[in-house]
Amino acid sequence: MTKFYLYVSRYLTVLLFLITTIAWSQSTVTGKVTASDDGSGLPGVNIIEKGTSNGTVTDANGSFTITVPGNAVLVFSFVGYTSQEVSVENRTSVNVSLSSDVTALSEVVVIGYGQIDKKDATGALVSLKPGDFNGGVIASPEQLIQGRAAGVQITSASGEPGAGVNMRIRGTSSVRSGNNPLFVVDGVPLSGDDVSPGSMNGALGDSPPKNPLNFINPNDIASIDILKDASATAIYGSRGANGVVIITTKSGKSGAGNIEYSYNLGFGHITKKMDLLNRDEFISAYTQFNGAAAAATLDKGASTDWQNQVLRTSVTNSHNLSFGGADATGNFRISLGYQNQEGIIKHSGMKRYTALLKGSKKFLNDRLTLSTQVTVADVHDDNVPITNNSGFEGDLFGSALKSNPTAPVYNPDGTLYQPSNTEPNPVAYLNLSRSFTNTLRSLGNVSAELQIIKGLTFKTVFGFDRSFSSRKTAFSRDLKANNGIYGIGRAYLNDIEVSNNLWENYFTYNKELSSSVKFTGLLGYSYQSFSNTRRDIQLANFRTSNLDLMINNLASIDPAKISMTGNSSSVKDELQSYYGRFDFTISDKYIVTATLRADGSTKFGGNNKYGYFPSAAIKWRASEEAFIPEAFSDLNVRLGYGVTGNQEIPHNLYQERQRYNTSNFNTGGTLDQADIGSVSFKNSDLKWESTAQINIGIDYGFFDNRLRGSIDYYHKNTSDLLIQVISAQPAPQPFTYTNLNANVINKGVELALEGDVVNNGDFKWTIVGNVAINKNRVQNFNGLLNTGQINGQGLSGAFAQRIANNQPLYAWFLRDFSGFDENGISVYNGGDFQKFLNGKSPLPTTNAGLTNNLRYKNFDLSIFFSGQFGQYIYNNTANAYFTAGSLANGRNVTKNVVGNGESNLNAPDVSTRFLENGSFVRLQNLTLGYNIPTTNTFIKSLRVSVTGQNLLTFTDYSGQDPEVNVNKALNNVPSLGIDYAGYPRARTITFGVNATF
Amino acid sequence: MKDNNTILRKVLAGAVGMSIILSACTDLNTEEKDSVVINTAGGKFEGDPTSLLSSVYADLGALTDQANVYALYEQTTDEMLPPTRGVDWGDNGVWRTLHQHTWDPTHQQILDSWNQLNQRAFKCNQILASNPSDAQAAEAKFMRAFFMFYVMDLYGQVPFRNVDEGVDVNPKVMTRSEAFDFIVNDLNEALPNLSVRGPSADNGKASKASANFLLAKLYLNKAVYKSSVAEGPYTFDKADMDKVIGYVDAITADGYSLEPQYFDNFRTIASKELIFTSPSGTAQNRIYMTLHYDQNPSGWNGFTTVADFYAKFEDSDTRKHGESIAPLGKNFYGIKRGFLIGQQYKDDGTPLTDSRTQKPLVFTPDVPLSGAATNKGIRVIKYHPADQGKYIFFRYADAYLMKAEAIMRGGSSGQTALQLVNNLRAVRGASALGTVDATAMLDERGRELYWEGVRRTDQIRFGTFTSTWAEKTVTEPFRVLFPIPQQALDSNPNLAPNPGY
Repeated sequence: MTKFYLYVSRYLTVLLFLITTIAWSQSTVTGKVTASDDGSGLPGVNIIEKGTSNGTVTDANGSFTITVPGNAVLVFSFVGYTSQEVSVENRTSVNVSLSSDVTALSEVVVIGYGQIDKKDATGALVSLKPGDFNGGVIASPEQLIQGRAAGVQITSASGEPGAGVNMRIRGTSSVRSGNNPLFVVDGVPLSGDDVSPGSMNGALGDSPPKNPLNFINPNDIASIDILKDASATAIYGSRGANGVVIITTKSGKSGAGNIEYSYNLGFGHITKKMDLLNRDEFISAYTQFNGAAAAATLDKGASTDWQNQVLRTSVTNSHNLSFGGADATGNFRISLGYQNQEGIIKHSGMKRYTALLKGSKKFLNDRLTLSTQVTVADVHDDNVPITNNSGFEGDLFGSALKSNPTAPVYNPDGTLYQPSNTEPNPVAYLNLSRSFTNTLRSLGNVSAELQIIKGLTFKTVFGFDRSFSSRKTAFSRDLKANNGIYGIGRAYLNDIEVSNNLWENYFTYNKELSSSVKFTGLLGYSYQSFSNTRRDIQLANFRTSNLDLMINNLASIDPAKISMTGNSSSVKDELQSYYGRFDFTISDKYIVTATLRADGSTKFGGNNKYGYFPSAAIKWRASEEAFIPEAFSDLNVRLGYGVTGNQEIPHNLYQERQRYNTSNFNTGGTLDQADIGSVSFKNSDLKWESTAQINIGIDYGFFDNRLRGSIDYYHKNTSDLLIQVISAQPAPQPFTYTNLNANVINKGVELALEGDVVNNGDFKWTIVGNVAINKNRVQNFNGLLNTGQINGQGLSGAFAQRIANNQPLYAWFLRDFSGFDENGISVYNGGDFQKFLNGKSPLPTTNAGLTNNLRYKNFDLSIFFSGQFGQYIYNNTANAYFTAGSLANGRNVTKNVVGNGESNLNAPDVSTRFLENGSFVRLQNLTLGYNIPTTNTFIKSLRVSVTGQNLLTFTDYSGQDPEVNVNKALNNVPSLGIDYAGYPRARTITFGVNATF
Repeated sequence: MKDNNTILRKVLAGAVGMSIILSACTDLNTEEKDSVVINTAGGKFEGDPTSLLSSVYADLGALTDQANVYALYEQTTDEMLPPTRGVDWGDNGVWRTLHQHTWDPTHQQILDSWNQLNQRAFKCNQILASNPSDAQAAEAKFMRAFFMFYVMDLYGQVPFRNVDEGVDVNPKVMTRSEAFDFIVNDLNEALPNLSVRGPSADNGKASKASANFLLAKLYLNKAVYKSSVAEGPYTFDKADMDKVIGYVDAITADGYSLEPQYFDNFRTIASKELIFTSPSGTAQNRIYMTLHYDQNPSGWNGFTTVADFYAKFEDSDTRKHGESIAPLGKNFYGIKRGFLIGQQYKDDGTPLTDSRTQKPLVFTPDVPLSGAATNKGIRVIKYHPADQGKYIFFRYADAYLMKAEAIMRGGSSGQTALQLVNNLRAVRGASALGTVDATAMLDERGRELYWEGVRRTDQIRFGTFTSTWAEKTVTEPFRVLFPIPQQALDSNPNLAPNPGY
């Protein structure tokens, strides 16, 4: 069955069909549903004509319209509120006030293959809705929820628009890069692979790929549900070990069609420039090392702030337009989005067009439900040459930090001043290179759900995820940047095509076994395939300096020389799964859940194709017991255990395979001859990495739930870690994937707290806080793995992190710097060798978030602080650029280098000199909004807002920003917490207007 | 009827659902489109021996790097010093620890060398399992011996893996003595099918002469490799020394002789001494690793020799200062051959200034290991940027001196060790010695073969490797073997840490 092809056009047909079959009412009862406590309109209230399936839901203002006979009875129901029945009695207007039902505390949460009331959930999960999201300029779904959920740490690699994001749920449990959670978008699990290519930049180093989730328009997201513990994630089996993030897009609501439009205009500016020497300070400091004669030669007469030369105030425009509607048998929503986000470094930015079509419709007396969702996104990234691992010459931002401040940008004749390959002009990088990526990605599904008998339904889902991404990069031969570019020029064409297909089938069965025992069962089969095709072409020896021609007229290479090389690849992996889940609810007090998933994967050979992932959990709703005091409006105790897995390793590592290696250009533009070589090695025993997790949690509510929240304790034990290690030589290749005989332990406590401080009619003040403490340790490990490559002059082979027994993952492994001796040479405690530093690591021990939501009449204010504590950052930027030796070599440094006692002959080896406490508290998000009262029948609601992002950061870290994670992997072992002249971070102010028509 | 239909529909729907589930199974077999799956069942390897052999020769290029195997043989000795110069050449201390003999089992270059050499030896196993011709098999055996020789010499333990042994098999490990026998046996099996090749500018292929050279080297050091304690003392057996003499005589019989102009060995012309060279690797790193950045070509301002070693040369010795190679004003005229000391010059003959300090660029004999200024230390050029030949592994003068040493250590020959050494010295413009003892022999090997990657083996054989010299104190006797890299120990329980580590 393995091949099925679904095309977007088919979806469009289905969708049009669904839209047109929604029957519009001709005569109406109208009204408004409000909350009894504050009188605000309640959106999303279900209204059913009693005894029929005729119904509707209220719109964003709480208004509704329904066609019913004059003698009908309307049933108003809404989660968290007491249902109410109202007789129409031939009225045309019915207004209803619902009071909140504190005992229900109901909220629907999305779990794997279904959704449940939160009160019935046995696992540790967090459900975030748009009201909980971060505002402003948002490129990806992760940014929406950064800092908002306990135990969920989100770090973007840099300030670049669309930069990759690290998301860690309950600590870092795996060593290699498969540490991000599984993302499931409207029922389709995404592969963790990059969909856009990174880039090579000659000897300038590698640029990282962008975040693969940039294709989702954040404005289309209705909820983000985070499954944290194994009892919740085990239903996703092999991919659940790092948690599961379920993204649900918005559906159409309200009876009549609503048009919503929003516009945002944002301005960004760098938060902190590096405090570099100006021209006079620079010349004076240089003279102290090398004398006046050398200083006179070095002084080129100008006064240039190189940071200003590459930075700008960025402007972001975004428009969102949606149209949706719903009735009792179906709903639809169409959404269009446009965002043009400039980066604060000139020439960089991200432009995104998105379209989302979603609908569902019931047939056969509501027994059959057909649904579909299609997202299409066209993302254009303008990239700048900022790399992970440039040498001492510096990439675009590195060279802006170290360039001679007396050097001019241009020569008197108007050409760029470019002194040498080792001292590149940052503006030359901007003007003499071009790089952009176009990514077209479409994700969608179509599903059919049939009620076979009462309580038993069967659902089948076809899902697809297609992506075409092409990155084009050119460096002019006029660019004096490193030996590999000047005189010959370089161009790179990098393409990735991704095609993933999903076929999911499952039965759900609900049955009241007795008056006190309810049963829910799930049984399913899933097949998913992942195809990934890549093409990378390198060109050199260009006959032109025209960047457009270099990219669009490849024949501009010199035919007399070998000027083109490259490689391609194409792999396909499959995952086949069987899964089941059983829930028993006994006397509404005890809820028992058990799940099992069997995953078979082509990533494992012979002996271990299938992995089995069980879980069980029990919940005791103690507040249902008579002996629990009334002060507890809610009290639950949860206990869960489960085993989940991880299979994020490259394709087929179990057979001996050979392919031809890529021949690369030498600095002179000639080719290194590469031969056929082994890419993998016989390894039939390779198997699933697994994580066993225990979770104990308490949900509580006091004072009629004005104070509410939860406490969770967890213990995760990851074993059989999948990692690339040194091959036992002799071997056909230097590295081999293996299941490391070691354990990674993460244990911690999460606390979530929410309280209504004030809640009276006009004024409401709610505080939402979360704190998570995590401790990470590697245990039972006999080997060692080095990572954290440090770049810069005299730092070849330098690394800063070692994974070893009884240390946290990515523990710092450095010389212990104690100062300079009388000659200005570094002195190290315990001698000139690297060692562990009492468990100092880049992993934060504590993450916290604090939100204050205030509303007064039509004004609302949301203030969100987030913080990370206990982590250490290695400042590779300072190590490479801000030393006496670098200054003595004629390169600019920060002011604190002058007079620090260091000799210009000192070697700045990796040491604690460059390790800094990275703890910070940040005013992450502040939004002030005003809902303009409107009586206009055309404009139903109107809101204006202003949002500030990254407004203030309190930290001792001396670098640009403490939230930083440049990829400094060594031999495919990932690094963490290293700063190396990454794309700087911005402070952003955004003005927004939202209107509903 | 209606009820029956309803039930039927329900059953049908359920059956359709179940059948979808049951029929959907895939066997999860992969299909490879971008690589070739190699079947190694029965110890056969479905590879192409011709392309594999060419790739083995191409892989020799890695040994021309300034780091790893070359560094283990040179930075650890009395003829080279790797100064840290401000922000240059700190490199996480890898150079300093090599020079001071303070390396540990996690030293990056000790690991990288282990991996490079063993991986290359394994490729030879693949050739031998892929149905090669007799000539190809002989070349593969020579190349396997070549790489395993280095593993044995550096680490004292030699792992071995058959082509059909996957990740789940821990390679078996030979002791130094077992490895010696294995390598000698490979060479003896290879010899009959290797071609006879005389001197050539391009001897990047195994020949009878290259096998004889390696055999001579093995037997000259047999006392070291067979010693029960790695650091000795070593007892040299007359029979082994006779073998050395025999192998060298066989090389001479193939037409090799001493090249009258010493530096012609390192040019593109056909020297009479070139026995085995790297076919694709160039000698450029030997140039860049030592030259100053203000010289032409602009170097990496790295490695130097030390005053004590430089002092071992007479002024008349042509190996000390070569002539300028290019006419005045031509590219690279400013670079002389041999030892670069004192004021340095541009191509047009004018004195060079250090662009960073604006002081005259004068290379000094004194050089500290840490905190060295940019002009410290004597630089060394054997391959000249204007006319650099193939990178040399085996050179006839080395064989010639091996014969002299074998005679000195009791081997039988019609010539004496003193005659041979003085013959060589006469060709090189040095005065005749009155006697030749171990010290004189080691010094002569240093003068002839400096910076050619043989010094560590020589110093160990002569018992001076752990003694003291510039920026190095007397070090522990166990340092004559490098440690088995920590990550290699972790990967293969059959390996044991070397004594002392």
